[in-house]
Amino acid sequence: MQDIILEMKDIEKTFPGVKALDRVNFTLRSGQIHALLGENGAGKSTLIKVLTGVHRMDAGTILFEGKSIRPTSPMDAQRQGISTVYQEVNLCPNLTVAENIFIGRQPMRRGQIDWKTINRRAHELMLRMGMDIDVTLPLATYPIAIQQMASIARAVDINARILILDEPTSSLDENEVRNLFSVMRELKNQGMGIIFITHFLDQVYAVSDQLTVLRNGRLVGEYTAQEIGKLELVTAMIGKDINEIYNLQKAQPGEDAKAVLDAQNIGIPGKVENISLQVKEGELVGFAGLLGSGRTETAEMLFGVTHAAQGSISMHGEVLALKTPLDAIRKKMAFCPEDRKRDGIIADLSVRENIALAVQATRGFLHPLPQKEQQELADKYIQLLSIATPDADKKVGELSGGNQQKVILARWMATNPDLMILDEPTRGIDVGAKAEIQRLMLEMCHEGRSVIFISSEIDEIIRCSNRIIVMRDLAKAAEMDGSACTQADILAIIANEGTKEEAV
Amino acid sequence: MKKTLISGAFVRSKLFWAIVAELLILLVGFILRPDFLSIQLRTLSDGTTVLFGTPVDIFNRASEITIIAMGMTLVIALGGTDISVGALVAVSGAIALKFLRWDVLVYTTPGDYTVQPYYLVILLPLLTCTLMGLFNGVLIGKLKLQPIIATLILMVGGRGIAQIVTNGKQFTTQYTPFKFIGNGSFLGLPLPILITLVVVLTVVLFVRRTSFGMFVESVGINPNASRVSGLRSDTIIIIVYVLTGLLSGISGLIYSSRISSNDSNNAGLGYEMDAILAVVIGGTSMTGGKFSLLGTVVGSLIIRTITTLVLYFGVVSEAIMAFKALIIAVVIVLQSEPVRNAIAKRRSKRIALGGEARA
Repeated sequence: MQDIILEMKDIEKTFPGVKALDRVNFTLRSGQIHALLGENGAGKSTLIKVLTGVHRMDAGTILFEGKSIRPTSPMDAQRQGISTVYQEVNLCPNLTVAENIFIGRQPMRRGQIDWKTINRRAHELMLRMGMDIDVTLPLATYPIAIQQMASIARAVDINARILILDEPTSSLDENEVRNLFSVMRELKNQGMGIIFITHFLDQVYAVSDQLTVLRNGRLVGEYTAQEIGKLELVTAMIGKDINEIYNLQKAQPGEDAKAVLDAQNIGIPGKVENISLQVKEGELVGFAGLLGSGRTETAEMLFGVTHAAQGSISMHGEVLALKTPLDAIRKKMAFCPEDRKRDGIIADLSVRENIALAVQATRGFLHPLPQKEQQELADKYIQLLSIATPDADKKVGELSGGNQQKVILARWMATNPDLMILDEPTRGIDVGAKAEIQRLMLEMCHEGRSVIFISSEIDEIIRCSNRIIVMRDLAKAAEMDGSACTQADILAIIANEGTKEEAV
Repeated sequence: MKKTLISGAFVRSKLFWAIVAELLILLVGFILRPDFLSIQLRTLSDGTTVLFGTPVDIFNRASEITIIAMGMTLVIALGGTDISVGALVAVSGAIALKFLRWDVLVYTTPGDYTVQPYYLVILLPLLTCTLMGLFNGVLIGKLKLQPIIATLILMVGGRGIAQIVTNGKQFTTQYTPFKFIGNGSFLGLPLPILITLVVVLTVVLFVRRTSFGMFVESVGINPNASRVSGLRSDTIIIIVYVLTGLLSGISGLIYSSRISSNDSNNAGLGYEMDAILAVVIGGTSMTGGKFSLLGTVVGSLIIRTITTLVLYFGVVSEAIMAFKALIIAVVIVLQSEPVRNAIAKRRSKRIALGGEARA
């Protein structure tokens, strides 16, 4: 058995009104990848923030290599050997990769920054991660995956004994994830202890040795990856049986259901071209495909976020001229964007204001929704979507990811749309919230509304869709019946192994 | 839970510390010269009664900045800045005086008259400044120029326009209705104070009774998400800059009325910085988002109180700016987040201890 490098005992942390951590224990050994799991709000981030000195614990002890420590800031934790790589890349995009890796601790030579050494060592570090790139180019020239590697390289080079990876994979594609994993294994073999936080259970099993599950600020248990099955794990995380949650009923639009949306050959030259699709009343159409395959671009055209230079879009038979999202909203469309932080939430506004925003936008600012109606609207959706917030006046930015997503859903449901477009609504949120959002989509269909559902997770597309459109290389690759296709069919198309017709 | 007179959240807010700072500065003035805070009711030669005293004077002389800062608060809440306001003050005064004395070659001596109709003397400067605000708004809202660059155009150009309007000359007037704006009084209060009250109330009602304030905050916090949610950010931006232009025009009328003259070089000089400072001291962040109009009023009063204090105690005029900067530095440090939190923490500890002792 390897040595214990980190032992957190009886950690307690209370925020006003919430016990965020209640006597939580956590042990990390060197040469171990330890997954920290739990739903949003289970206390994972709080535990990490206590460890990295963002928060001070109220009670408990942290033993790091046998010594009791109490980090006072992330810098302090880093100096002691605890490095963290966050979900969002926290580097400077306009500096070079090498500068980013060495910023704040540039090697000096005769009173001047030793650029040669910086660039050489940065290149070596990136090579160790399996990335042979030019480190003298600005960070922003590289995709997110490489940027993430650079932040890991930086973290690792600061003599870290413990590396914390907080949702590192949520913006990576499959290949990049595989690459990250091999780097993680490499670091593990060098004796580093890695704490891995993720929502993707498959990834947990692919790379972790040990799992610790938290729920509602309490420790549920610690398991080895071999001893606990996926179902059991999910049950431990949410405290309920998973089948109970996933008991979903697909919508069944009638044969003669009218078309709500009809898009003909829409496109923007050089971005996406020649996309045609129809969505019927009460139908859920799934969009499958890789990141960057044109799914989001199509959705943005339909909603007027970008202007479709070619083709026509009509709702209920009426051809639309969409200049701004407001035009689309007025025609009873709604759109939950992929990047929740950038295009979704207004972080500093309250839950109430965030929910009322789109309704208010259609009314114009001169016709404000009375305070009372605003409150009723907020209360209604907080209850309907079981949004976990103490009250409607809480800032949205202070809620967990899943609850933020529900607030955005509420914003659009409040506009009473005929067609709801959801772009990756379940990314980065926990299993429980995921199932709830899927159920909500299907409920909307049962009410006769139509839904376009974009997701990278093929199983959830199959679970919910009546029809599936597969995107590849910025074009529509296939359209299939949602009840008669399998994951393998879709994967084959995505991987360009011939469409269904060709295969027959 | 033990109730305290002031809630913890309020103690942590910048507004609270702005008020504390204002009271402290007043207290310093009072300790040095007890008559600093005295207010009297005096009867003027024409039979009207007016409030007199340094505090009234502070409110009165803060008017120009307070009025502009109402617009500046919204500008900053959108994440922008408007550095043209001072120049617009000069434009406003120049046009007003131009119309009062047009044609100056005929009406060579200033006196109690206006050559052009009085309503034009008031409306044309306001209209011009509103249009200049529209110019700023279109550059920023439609052409997406950076606010500081866009408003730099009129900051530089505005004073030039003011010079052209008056042929580079300084006119004076003795026209009573015009002088009344800056020097008159009504119901015992100097007129600028009343104008300011009306402006502040109107802006507050406009912003908080409609959804405009929420839209401004939303665009200031997250322009992308606001657009996707159906907000027309360009329209909102234009309205805010137009409003700021109009308010600068009002401020310009008050200023030129006070000195019964136009002064294209010095009217409104440095107002943009004072207005921005008032907004920031009032608790609105330069990064945009949530704003506090009430805080801005307090911020503006602080700036004026400092100036008055310095003038009152006869600091040599060369040292006024340095002195002002010193006090502002103290106020801003007092307001900084670490200091505020530290004080709020000590306070809550004290409350907790006090509570236990009594229990």
